[in-house]
Order: sequence, then C-alpha cells, then structure tokens
Amino acid sequence: MPKFLIWVAVLAALIALPHGLSFSQQEILVFLTINVLLVASYRLLTLTGEWSLAHVVIMGVGAYSSALLTKKLGVYVPVSMLLGGVVAALIAVLLSFPLFRMKGFYFLIGSFAAGEIIRLLWKRFRDPFGGAKGIKGIDPMPDFSIGFYQFDFFEPTSYYYFAGVIVAFCLWILWRIEKSPVGLTFHAVHWQDKLAQASGVNVRAYRTLAFAIASGFAGISGALLAHYVGTINPNAFDIDLMVFVLTWAIVGGTATFYGPILGCVVLTVLNEIVLRELGLEQMRPLVYGAIMILSILFLPNGLESIVQKLTKRRAAKSAPERSPAE
Amino acid sequence: MISKIVKSGLTRRTFLKSTAVTAMSAGLPGASLAAGKTIKIGFLAPLTGAVAAWGKPGLDGCQIWAERVNAAGGIKLGDGSYSVEFVSYDNEYDPAKARTGATKLIREDGVSFIMMLGGDTWPGVQPVADKTGMLFSTLLPSDLSPDTSTLIAPAEVHPIYNVTGVEWLAENKPELKTAVMCAQDDALGLPSVATYLAAFEAAGIEMLDEPLLFDPATTDFAPVVTRLISKNPDIVCLDTCYSDYVHPIAEQLFQQGFKGQIISCTADFYDQMIAKTSEEFMEGFVFQFPDFDDPALNGDNINFTDPNGFYAEFNTRHPGQWGAVSWEYASIMDLWKAAAEKAGSASPDAVAAAMKEGKGKHAFGDADWWGTELFGIDNALVGDWPVVAIEKGKARIKDFRSIPDWYARHGDLLVKHMKAYDQMWDQRS
Repeated sequence: MPKFLIWVAVLAALIALPHGLSFSQQEILVFLTINVLLVASYRLLTLTGEWSLAHVVIMGVGAYSSALLTKKLGVYVPVSMLLGGVVAALIAVLLSFPLFRMKGFYFLIGSFAAGEIIRLLWKRFRDPFGGAKGIKGIDPMPDFSIGFYQFDFFEPTSYYYFAGVIVAFCLWILWRIEKSPVGLTFHAVHWQDKLAQASGVNVRAYRTLAFAIASGFAGISGALLAHYVGTINPNAFDIDLMVFVLTWAIVGGTATFYGPILGCVVLTVLNEIVLRELGLEQMRPLVYGAIMILSILFLPNGLESIVQKLTKRRAAKSAPERSPAE
Repeated sequence: MISKIVKSGLTRRTFLKSTAVTAMSAGLPGASLAAGKTIKIGFLAPLTGAVAAWGKPGLDGCQIWAERVNAAGGIKLGDGSYSVEFVSYDNEYDPAKARTGATKLIREDGVSFIMMLGGDTWPGVQPVADKTGMLFSTLLPSDLSPDTSTLIAPAEVHPIYNVTGVEWLAENKPELKTAVMCAQDDALGLPSVATYLAAFEAAGIEMLDEPLLFDPATTDFAPVVTRLISKNPDIVCLDTCYSDYVHPIAEQLFQQGFKGQIISCTADFYDQMIAKTSEEFMEGFVFQFPDFDDPALNGDNINFTDPNGFYAEFNTRHPGQWGAVSWEYASIMDLWKAAAEKAGSASPDAVAAAMKEGKGKHAFGDADWWGTELFGIDNALVGDWPVVAIEKGKARIKDFRSIPDWYARHGDLLVKHMKAYDQMWDQRS
C-alpha cells in the first residue's frame, strides 16, 4: 500500500477514534494526546544524551504562563498557548546556564533541583501563582464553528480534535528537526561529543537548543492541559508525573521517534482503561509496577523493538518475493 | 437515558429536564415500577496514592451503609423502594482524573449524587458540575464559593472544627501556654493553619514560631521535628497533616524526646502510632475524629444510625483500617437519603432543595446550613463537633463543642488569619 494511503487511513482512524469510545475514554484520549506531545518532546532532549527531571515542571511553566496570560491580560487562548510554549523555552534557556555546566547524572540531579525551585516559587508567591491551591477558573478554549462541525470545548471530542491538530503539527516539527542536520548534530553530541567538538560543533549550544525546543513543546502541552481542565496547581507537575514520563520513554524505547509515544499510549491504556475495567482500580499501582518491571526485564530495548522486529520480518519476507521480478 | 441526552450535546437544561421527567413519573398513580430498581451513587475520591487514607475507608464505610439500607428496604421514593449501589472512581487526587471520573459517573453510570473528598480535585470537576447540575458533596468546605451552587459540605466543616480541640485544651489544661505548628503546604494544610492560629490566639496560647510549612513530597521529618521542638513548646500542633505525615512526625517527636502535648486534626490508624511510639507517649493526644464504638455516640443528640454497630462491622471487615473518613461519607448518605425520601425523588435539584429545608440532621446533632461569611454560600452544615483524646491506647470523646458558638465569639480572628493566608473565598484565584 502506498505510504500516502497508509497516512490517510491513520488520519481517518484518528478522526473516527473518539466516536468508538465511551465518554470517560474520550476524556482519557484528550489527556493521552497531550501526554504524547510531552513525551515526544522529552525524547528530543534525550537525543543529546541528557535526561532531565525538570521536563514536567517546564510543562507546568507553559501551563502557568498561558493561564496567567489569559486570566490577567485577557490574551486570546490559542495565542496564550503559543506564548506559554515560548515562555517555557525561554525559562529553559535561562536554566541551561547553570545546568549545562553539568553532565549525565549531575545534570539529572541538577534538573530535579531546578524544577523543585520553580515549583516552590509557584507555592511561595500566591500572587500571581495562587500558592499551593494553584490557579482555577482558567479560561477554556472559546467555542467556534467551522461550518460542518461545531467545536464545543467542554466536550472531550472537540478538544481532542483541537489538541490533536496542534499535537500532530508539533510532532511533525519535532520529526523534521530530528531528521535535519540539527537533529543529526544532536545525535553526534550524544554519541561522539569529543569528536563533534573537535569538528567545530558547539556542544553546549546544541544541548541548550535541544533543551529549549523540547521545553517549548512541553510548555505547549502544559497549556493544552491547563485550558482543558481549568485548574493547575504545583502538585500537578511534581516528580510523580515525571516518573510516568520516564516510564513511558523507557518502556517504549527512545531509539525511534515513535518509541516513547508507543510507551505512553500502551501504558496509559493499560493503567487508565484496562486495569480500571478489570476491576483492579485500587491495585493499579501494583499491577502497573509489575508490568513495568517485566517489560524492562524481557523487553530491554522497549516496545519499539517489537515493532522493529515485525517490520524487519515483513521486509525480509517481501524481499524474496520481489527478487524474481527484479 | 443519560447517554441518549449527551449524544445530542449535554447541557445543564437537558440534564435537569431528564431528571425532572424521572421525578414526575415517580408520582404517577399505580406506577410501582421501582421494584428491582437501583439508585447509583458516585464515589469520586482518591483510592490510591498519598491521600487514599481519606478516600478508601470512606468507600468501605459506604458499602456497609448500602448493605444496611438495602436490608432495611432501600430508599423509599415516590414510586417505591430503590436499592442503592455505589460506583467508585479513583481520582488519585488529580483534578484531570477527577474530571474524567465525574464524566464517567454522570454520563456513563447515571449516578444521582457524587461524593468527593474535594480539595485540589474539585476545580477540575466544577465545569462538569456547572454543565450538568449534578449534586456533589465535599469534605472540604474551602471548596465552596458563590459559584458552587451544586456543591454541599454536609459532613464536616474542615478545618473550622479544629477550633473545638484547642478550646477544650485551653479550658482543661490551662498550664499549656505556648505552641508550634507544622503542615504540608497545600490546599488542605493552609486553611487549617489559619484556623489553628485563630484558635490559639482566641485561647491565649502563644505561637513561638511561624507555622512550619513543608513540601508534600517530604519524607524525612527529622529536621522538621528538630526545628519544631527547638523552642521548647508546650504544644506541638500537627495541623491537618495526612496520615503519611502524622505517623512519622509523631515517631520523630517520640524519638527526639518530646514530652509535651500533641494536637492534630486527625490521628488515623493511631494504634499503629502507639505501636511505633508508646502508650505513655500517645496518652492525651488530642484530635477530632472519634472511634464509633465510643459510648458518647449513643446519646439522643446523635443522628448517625447505630454508630457502635457500624464501627464493629467496619472493623470486622477491615481490621485496623478505621479512619477519619470511615463514617463521614456514610453520614452524608444518611442526609442524602432523608432528603431524597422527603422529596420523593433522586433528582439532584429536588434532593438539594429538600436537604436545605430547615435544620440538617448532622451525624453529631442537628445543625444549620452556614458559611456565607467564610465561603460565600450557606452550603456547609455546621453544629457540634467532638473533641477526642487518646486514653490508655484508646480514642475517647472528651466533649462536644459548638462550632457556631466559637465563631460567634471569635469569628473575626478566623477571618483575619484566613485572609492572611489568602484562604477566604474571594481571595482564591
């Protein structure tokens, strides 16, 4: 099947998807879509070899910025979402000055500390951040019509379409960045940093660039979340959610663009739908943890390795079939 | 039916219209169609995670309540008796998951009423409540505001009842003159801090230091306790700390040799605390939530049905799990049941109207709907509240104190401290 038709089929499936789900599953789909952008943006940072523990807090920076811009300054919601991403990227640039004096494990711990400082600032300054209770009554995305479809953003289906378009566009940009010379340089910075440096690559600048871009998109995901749920607080961006993001990335695998997305989708469906439907609601942390350990033990290269095996097998099968024609 | 409505776009009007039709049909002559019918009640609270201690025991209590009510003939509405069934959703104390849960309970499960813990999760649910008109309850009246017309706080006026414990201490142990306090820096901790500050000031007890606010992610309480007791206070106040904090803090106080008075909003699973410390250390620990086998709960003023039997049944099924909320959600259900039977309908509007007619039958005695000054709306049921102390390893009610009486005398202090912590309804962003 030509690649174009595959993409059309995927698009049709994604458009039809919410109509085959229950209302609560549609809600979960909205949060899943937002989390896909969060984890995909996180992968961009990991391309340079650095794993941050501040990514979820940076997501929160986008959420707080966008919420405050609409509440205090009356900025139009879609514009504030974009600005939320910009503010998150700028904060990342600021953080990069102290953080990129460190590498590896030290960067990981440093990023955690930086994230906690931001969270504590949200708590400390009740004006404008709302303190521990955070901000509530955040303006929702204004409803609008495009003729054949009325967007009512209280409804999860409408917000899924809206968020889906934004997330798809952001994923396309992330994909283009990864495949561009800049993305290849990110890989070089990770695997051959001394060689890259010797070749004239400013390693620190590229790490900062990856951190800022990843943070910008994380900020947009935070803004999408804030304007849907209508409330944010510092605890919503704590280390618990960061552990989930790490888990999605590790279980999915970070060698491919789709690996972390796969991890996010599979684990979210498992945690939020399958285990709840099976009546294991209160045992979810236990079952989820067990599945995570098992997947790491038996799938050390992540869920993406299954896809890679399947696609290789298909390619191997189709190769001899093609050879006579050749 | 609800799913049909929402397919064409859910509005508050269509939702309420459907419930009104149901309510009207209940009044049709000879329409005894209720046999075998069930009313579903939503339970939307944390069942896992750090705050689960204020959700899970409540659900366990509700299951006992439902069995008792069903065995006694169910809920008697206009068209006959209905059995009651609880449908739970674990919101993990997360506003986004609470929104998903509210959507599921209303639009898929067709519940008639939803009970929540509240706090951080309520703002996520509020748009759903506004849109559907569903009646919700919270254990935390600080969720109330003039915008929350479908939210009631009928079980406890957290944290206002904490004033009763301090008042009792001041009267019965006048030698206690100084206090320090710690709390987690969150939506539960801060209004409680303001309340205790007002109560200590009203009682003439001096605060030796600013309240020590720690991050909810704190796991090592040794430095917290060291700083707390460094000024040699008579009283250490644990505010409304989660049980995951109360236990290690009490343990640290014991290990660091504190000999003074401890006061706390809760002391869930206090038997475990005694096991970690000692019976002598925990003697006189004052808090606000009684065991329901307490003889003081057999008085005529108590509206909770058979508290001793309820406690015995709970402990048989869930030994060692009795906590502050074990009875609270069940007591809300007592109020809801009485209101639904009075209205002859389970419709949220009808039940809410019936519930707020006259005095409310609160678990600890008849009470008034109150709260305009503090919450901007009279949706909190306020009356007497027990003061509990541990004596020889067992929680015992020492007294029942009137919250409205305290407020009439010292309300200005409470408002002052609430304002200082930005906790008044018009200060919440």
